[in-house]
Amino acid sequence: MSLAADAFVSQLAAAEPWPENATLYQPLKEDQILLSDCASSLAVQAYLRMCGLPVEVVYRANAEYMSPSGKIPFIHVGNQVVSELGPIVQFTKAKGHSLSDGLDDVQRAEMKAYMELVNNMLLTAELYIQWCDDATAAEISRPRYSSPYSWPLSNILSYQKQWEVRRKMNAIGWGGKTLEQVYEDVSQCCQALSQRLGTQPYFFNKQATELDALVFGHLFTILTTRLTSAELAERIKSYSNLLSFCRRIEQTYFDDKSS
Amino acid sequence: MAAAMELRCWGGDWGLPSVHTESLIVLAYTKFSGAEVTVSPIDWTWKTLTATVPELLCGNSAVQEPAQILNFLRKQRFNADYELTAREGADTMAYIALLEEKLRPALLHTFWVDAENYANLTRPWFASRSPFPLNFLVPSCQANTALSRILLTKGEAPLHRITEVEGKIYSDAKECLNLLSYRLGTANYFFGNSPTSLDAFVFGFVAPLHKASLPSSPLQSHLRQLDNLTRFCDSILAVYFSSDHPYG
Repeated sequence: MSLAADAFVSQLAAAEPWPENATLYQPLKEDQILLSDCASSLAVQAYLRMCGLPVEVVYRANAEYMSPSGKIPFIHVGNQVVSELGPIVQFTKAKGHSLSDGLDDVQRAEMKAYMELVNNMLLTAELYIQWCDDATAAEISRPRYSSPYSWPLSNILSYQKQWEVRRKMNAIGWGGKTLEQVYEDVSQCCQALSQRLGTQPYFFNKQATELDALVFGHLFTILTTRLTSAELAERIKSYSNLLSFCRRIEQTYFDDKSS
Repeated sequence: MAAAMELRCWGGDWGLPSVHTESLIVLAYTKFSGAEVTVSPIDWTWKTLTATVPELLCGNSAVQEPAQILNFLRKQRFNADYELTAREGADTMAYIALLEEKLRPALLHTFWVDAENYANLTRPWFASRSPFPLNFLVPSCQANTALSRILLTKGEAPLHRITEVEGKIYSDAKECLNLLSYRLGTANYFFGNSPTSLDAFVFGFVAPLHKASLPSSPLQSHLRQLDNLTRFCDSILAVYFSSDHPYG
């Protein structure tokens, strides 16, 4: 969206309170959704729960195509549609709900930097493992991605998505990496997050922020998703404070959710 | 350990030792860590098309990409991050990710995609530093790479038009510069009193934007308002790259 459209939407957003019938759309949970989308969706759900905003999760096979930016998840609130965690955080801020108001400028800079670290490393690694690793792509990603569609559309869509993701990986320089290097990058990212978290309950001590939601979404999904190899989950399990962080957020904000 | 190290990078101009961001990062880090490297600019050679820049040659091994080169230098005991705590090391990784995600697309756009800047500054500079007939190829190759990188990472499928992402990438870049300015505050360097790898990265990204004489750049005007960042670049240039030792 252009800047003018952004400003217009913020103004509209500020006008109305959060409705009861807000919905969050994501692909089908059992058969279709992939690791990276599931992580992003869980991050948004965690953030909305932390803000105390009710939202109903709706599963649709064509959620990716309904989304205004092509990315999952997106929320439908009132008569507006907003996708991805960044814009959703701004949208809720325009409605008067924010988790990071208590932070000063330097802390806010740190928070944004760490969120970019998670996006840059964890999300890219997830995409790489799903689509650039041939074994995972053939066994898990392509079948799952195309499961709602019949042949030959299923083949076309899944290969098209794979080609798109591989192009992007090449453009940012991840095309030449081996799987081992990707796992190593994930370890380093987790080490950085673990050191930043330390022994605190949340990244910015007592209050949960969007950074906590984002980290929880990614780590929890990686830990609970079955891939061709358990290496990724094992790398995360070696950081015990991250594990207890995930457990704490799950118990605090998701205890009414049936797992 | 004392094997001679040679660094291949783009040459310098506008008061900088190199106009290329990645090369600047590596050059700055070698100065900060006290590593002795001979710098061989690839200007006017066929390597302008074939080589991946920057590249560090040490004995038989060649290392590319700033992050890998910095790791290699650290293993050779040239470590500018020796005094950082674990938490500061984690912060370094996070801020580097912020630079890559938020600032790089706008810098690529300013130098390679913006028509006025490309035609008046970037293309003539790179064309004049490449031998015939590469001067026709090198700038346009790099411009295409830059455009496709911006569209693939920031463009929203399936539209993929540069005009739609321009506003967003520039506002992200301005926010990133503001965040760096808040983090730097009144200090000389980002961590304590001696420069570290994060200082090298920030210098590499910000210095070309600060020093290049761009015909049209709202981002450069925004940077000029952030005094502490411009002072940061100037002081690194004065202390580590003074005119009697432009390369080392």
